[in-house]
Amino acid sequence: MENFRLRIVTPDGLIFEGEVTSLSCRTIEGQVQLLARHIDYCTALGMGEARITLPDGSTRRAACMGGMVSMMGGECRLMAITFEWAEQIDHARAEASKKRAEEILARKNLTEREYKLAQARLRRALVRTGIR
Amino acid sequence: MANSMKKIKLRMKSVQNTMQITKAMELVASGKLRRARERVEHSRPYFETLYETLFSIASEDDEFASPYLERRERRKRLYIVIAGDRGLAGGYNANLLRAVEADISGSEYCILPIGRKAVEYFMRHGDDIVSTDFVQAGDLSVSDCFEVSRFACQGFLRGDFDEIRIAFTRFVSMLAQTPVLLPVLPFDAPDKGPGKTRKSLMLYEPDRRTVFDAIIPEYLAGVVYGSLCESTAAEHAARRMAMESATDNASELMEHLNLYYNRARQAAITREITEIVAGADVEA
Repeated sequence: MENFRLRIVTPDGLIFEGEVTSLSCRTIEGQVQLLARHIDYCTALGMGEARITLPDGSTRRAACMGGMVSMMGGECRLMAITFEWAEQIDHARAEASKKRAEEILARKNLTEREYKLAQARLRRALVRTGIR
Repeated sequence: MANSMKKIKLRMKSVQNTMQITKAMELVASGKLRRARERVEHSRPYFETLYETLFSIASEDDEFASPYLERRERRKRLYIVIAGDRGLAGGYNANLLRAVEADISGSEYCILPIGRKAVEYFMRHGDDIVSTDFVQAGDLSVSDCFEVSRFACQGFLRGDFDEIRIAFTRFVSMLAQTPVLLPVLPFDAPDKGPGKTRKSLMLYEPDRRTVFDAIIPEYLAGVVYGSLCESTAAEHAARRMAMESATDNASELMEHLNLYYNRARQAAITREITEIVAGADVEA
């Protein structure tokens, strides 16, 4: 398989830079997979699992939320708000967060804002707990 | 004489205490500055790439329309003012607030202050403050920046304000920090030459407008976060400088006081000797 350059940046810094054979991530439209020689491409990211395949065939999984991905001149750039490798995810914290969000959502008298915040938290927690 | 010696001694003690404090604050500020600068460097690539991409989307086509690009009859501005939480940082807060005041002149505006000093200042002036949720600039995280951005974007789309500017302090060097007013929305699309339409081959999914509209709030959050990092670095640099000169002043003062003290002590001794000699003369 052919390789291409991938650069992953978040506000907290450069997460990854190097050659990969494929990148798969969740966009606002659904899961996509990018391979080498892709046409110039740009889309916004949703919340979900990202997976990269390294030239030696191994894959790394990560929780990737928000931001955008672009392919320009054969070079791919993924700008995410949060990007956590599977091994970095704090599962205990994610579980706790999920539980807390569910408790909040179970209550009746929520303002719209509280409801949205809790829902967003639940979604983030679900993405994190889903990656193992 | 003994009285004045005691007074000088007390004064020296108090100057020394102050010096210890300023010295400690200087050390703390330099430590924090190092971390803040690292954070600036880390966040920079993200922010630059984001800007480049938005810039190229906006500049590619004439027919491209997005509410975020729309230039309305300028009526009301939103200023996002990022100042510090604490004083004792030289002119850091004052310079920024002065720059904002100068920019406001006459136009209709509202303020979203970040940092305690900014909140206090605009409260005192009775300005139109849209939110005081972000009092602590020190512990604002990325997600707080998104909160700010979401708030600003919604207000912009609703038409609560027609222009958004961010006021922050740029960290130029250890010695220089300059206040900056950065217009962020409407997004400044570059001027295209007349009649020149470059057809782009870029594939946007699902389409350019959706992508653009989805990214703008993130861009804004990125700008807020970036400015916050710069401001924090600038604040620590300013505080370090202020504390350094305070420590220098204190040690200079100590030298003078030491001299006075010695002089007073000498005078006291001389007088004592004179008194003894005079007494001996009488006895003899």
